[in-house]
Amino acid sequence: MGGIITPNLEIRDIIVEAGAEDAYKCFQCGKCMSLCPWYQVETVLFPVYRIPQAVRLGIVTGSDDKDEIAKEVEEMFRCVGCEACTQRCPVGVSVPNVVRAIRRILVEYGTCPSELKAVVSKIYNVGNPLGEPRERRTNWAEGLNIPTYKSDMEFLYFPCCLSAYDSRGKEVARATAKLLKQANVSFGILGAESCCCEAIRRVGAEKTFCEVAKSNIELFHSAGVRKILTTSPHCYSTLKTEYPELGADFEVVHHTQLLCRLLQEGKLVPEKSLPHKVVYHDPCTLGRHSGVYDEPREVLRSIPGLQLIEVENFCREYSVCCGAGGGGMWLDWPMDERISNVRLEQVLATGAELLAVACPYCLQMFEDTVKSMNLKLTVKDVSELLVESL
Amino acid sequence: MEIVVCVKRVPQTEEAEVIVDSSGADIVKDRLTYDMNESDVYALEEAVLLKEKFGGTVTLVSIGPQETDDVLRMGLAKGGDVALRLWDPCFVHSDGYVTASILARAMKEISFDLVLTGCIATDDGRSQVGGMLAGLLGIPHASYVTRVEIEERTVTAHSELEAGLIQVNRMPMPALLTIQTGINEPRYASLISIKRATSKEIRVLTMDDLGLEEATVGGMGSTTRIMKLAPPEVGKRAEILKGTPEQVSDTLTEILKKKGMI
Amino acid sequence: MSAISVLAEHRRGELRDVTFEMLVRGRELAEKRGAALIAILLGHQVDNFAQRLSEYADRVILVDHPDLIHFNPEIYRKVLTSLTKNGRPVLVLIGHTAFGVDVAPGLSVDLNLALVTDCVDIRFEGDQLIAVRQMYGGKLNAEVSFAEGEGLATIRPGSCAVRPLGLHGEIVKADYPAGEPPRREFVHYIEAPPGEVDITQADVIVAVGRGLKEKANLSIVEELASSLGGVLACSRPIVDAGWLPKDRQVGSSGKTVKPKLYIAVGISGAFQHVTGMKGSDTIIAINKDPNAPVFNEADYGIVEDLFKVVPVLKGKIVELRSS
Repeated sequence: MGGIITPNLEIRDIIVEAGAEDAYKCFQCGKCMSLCPWYQVETVLFPVYRIPQAVRLGIVTGSDDKDEIAKEVEEMFRCVGCEACTQRCPVGVSVPNVVRAIRRILVEYGTCPSELKAVVSKIYNVGNPLGEPRERRTNWAEGLNIPTYKSDMEFLYFPCCLSAYDSRGKEVARATAKLLKQANVSFGILGAESCCCEAIRRVGAEKTFCEVAKSNIELFHSAGVRKILTTSPHCYSTLKTEYPELGADFEVVHHTQLLCRLLQEGKLVPEKSLPHKVVYHDPCTLGRHSGVYDEPREVLRSIPGLQLIEVENFCREYSVCCGAGGGGMWLDWPMDERISNVRLEQVLATGAELLAVACPYCLQMFEDTVKSMNLKLTVKDVSELLVESL
Repeated sequence: MEIVVCVKRVPQTEEAEVIVDSSGADIVKDRLTYDMNESDVYALEEAVLLKEKFGGTVTLVSIGPQETDDVLRMGLAKGGDVALRLWDPCFVHSDGYVTASILARAMKEISFDLVLTGCIATDDGRSQVGGMLAGLLGIPHASYVTRVEIEERTVTAHSELEAGLIQVNRMPMPALLTIQTGINEPRYASLISIKRATSKEIRVLTMDDLGLEEATVGGMGSTTRIMKLAPPEVGKRAEILKGTPEQVSDTLTEILKKKGMI
Repeated sequence: MSAISVLAEHRRGELRDVTFEMLVRGRELAEKRGAALIAILLGHQVDNFAQRLSEYADRVILVDHPDLIHFNPEIYRKVLTSLTKNGRPVLVLIGHTAFGVDVAPGLSVDLNLALVTDCVDIRFEGDQLIAVRQMYGGKLNAEVSFAEGEGLATIRPGSCAVRPLGLHGEIVKADYPAGEPPRREFVHYIEAPPGEVDITQADVIVAVGRGLKEKANLSIVEELASSLGGVLACSRPIVDAGWLPKDRQVGSSGKTVKPKLYIAVGISGAFQHVTGMKGSDTIIAINKDPNAPVFNEADYGIVEDLFKVVPVLKGKIVELRSS
């Protein structure tokens, strides 16, 4: 440690070419550091602000010592892509994008946690990160009589892989489908689609992302899809802002946005009172990335009995990530190193008994944390609460 | 010390759907991701560690078409110095013996002290190429090695037997070792090593370069042949055993006994 | 008369089970083929082994020499090659064990005899010799033919049940051939250090999950594991709680295991865990929730409170073992 650092401009150029141009803008003010969710985890030092600088000097994984490299690689895969840093950066540096560029190069040479390699493999092979068979993608809809999407329908409902395959996640897809049917929304499902691939793009598997995303786009085009309704904000964001790079042209709606509209139009009427104190957790991808803060809150406010509380200082664009983004869902940090713990402590401090989420990853992360920390908190998706209240 | 590491590019099938193709004797490969065979990664790391300790070069050798370059480049980024790819379209369907012969032929031109291979390939699971290569090269070998010690020209290898028992053997170089996973902690390729690897050459040797004849390679030259692939018979899923704890325990114990587990 | 030969495997004073499994299988093959079943025993002062083997073979060929005290593949290859001077067997069976994998490939090269490894089945179909083995981690079975109808096969242990054959094979002593000393030398054995367990190598795993409730309850499941000669593993929450070290964790962020037997106790079967054990040969799930997803992955399920079932089950297994 210590001594003179020798910049390696060739490495800098390789990283920048892979998508890290933002690194040039950074002037090291350190503001990102205080907003990064890892900052709140006392046992972890994640030097966000050093990353653009390291790229400029070309000293990312520049060591010859294999243990030091292993540590740096671990650090490189800590970033959850929540963009809390980007939000407040005076010059708009997106550290997640810089990290993604680095990951792109590393992943091609197998430098990547094995859990993430497995996820990329599974998505490429069977179209979902759980490794479940393709044929079972629509099993969540059993007994609900949901038609197959046809081009004369308004929406293609695109549940997240987690909502389609995971036993807890399925409950959200089912709740959403019930609401859509109740409100007479014209929609259908396909089942031949693959994961939206947001996670693997974040992880750096760019080629796989392009290949699978293109196959999705082809499928949607040939089925005559125009509007897509998603459960997950990740699917929402990727289909809306990243798929157009590959030739897609769909209108994408998040389920909380549609539910809000249906409530306003009087097509859904919540009647039963749910007398609970509830905190709404703004998912990073729906809130900060996509600017959708109010619609989910409107949905909750329409439910009689619910008392909506905000986490002081950490709501809306200051919401603290659940930790599942950027591949975090598939990695396992030690018990005392989890962002989700921090977030739930904030939620509990408000006195709420109920946590409302709008993302299948948040749902999974928080429920897992509730169980392992033995917390008195129920986690539900906004759509589930609405169904309960009908 | 001159070390040769034989590596194989294999499909990642552990958590994937593996489907038999229309020929009935191979699998559908287009939705599978590929990587370096797991125990080969450990073999490479062991070679690089030995190089760091004793100096010398690490030569990677692999049999395969152009896609195999991905794996060789990864190997070069993980500490390999030189890479050799052996290929001719006639090499397809080579069985273990033919694979070992092709490798042996390529190695006639290389002077080496040690040959390291993975102990088993995750696709065919044969565990035979390493041992056959040693036999063809006429050098001593040890299998499933979990520890390597070198002193002068002597190799001491710890081989993993069953139930955690280890057999320690000693042999003179040149020697071949098939390496077991867990022997070391494989390094990640760093950006610097990746950058260095891009300037390292992958030499390709064809059947002519190797002086091999079509009749002795590939399916034609193999004396064993896969005739048919099929999924194993699937039993019923979750037969729920009914009864009191006593009764279900009796039933389960019987089942386990029949399966030879007790 | 052609012969089916079986190489007996022994270590530190014991004949290993796979030898008898191969002899039973060899008997079926020999009968079908009208061949003699020969057991080949290489060792030093192993007459008692030869006696036992004679009950399972038409003939036992015994080569006795101090050089054969410890297994050495070079010596074995030299001796076996010299034995074939009197005629090549149509099929040689060797256990697919550490020793077997060490000697079979080299022997195949020496004898120019085709080799198929890790066979779970092998049969003659007329003149054809066909072996069955697993590929892709057990996801597919392959039927492999030996082009010349003869060959060398390593046989997976546990793939054939042993039964008494009631034979009275003659024991024939063969000479230890002279020749170059081997280049490889046996140094010594090292026992496995206690407490270091690699669950990925275990044949039997008993895994425990949240249903366990408290660390103190681990002993109940540990006893079940030992009664089956298995190891204890767990799902992530158990590691989180600090009840077991991380190297015992099965799952997407732990280890992937493929034991012969996997018993999931008090594990719900969330996808992160299941993905690490789906490939096990036989999966048994014990969980008091009938809707636990683990039952979708198991071969046998017991819907019951683990505290009620596990001690009873362990008792029965111990009873059976000691009888």
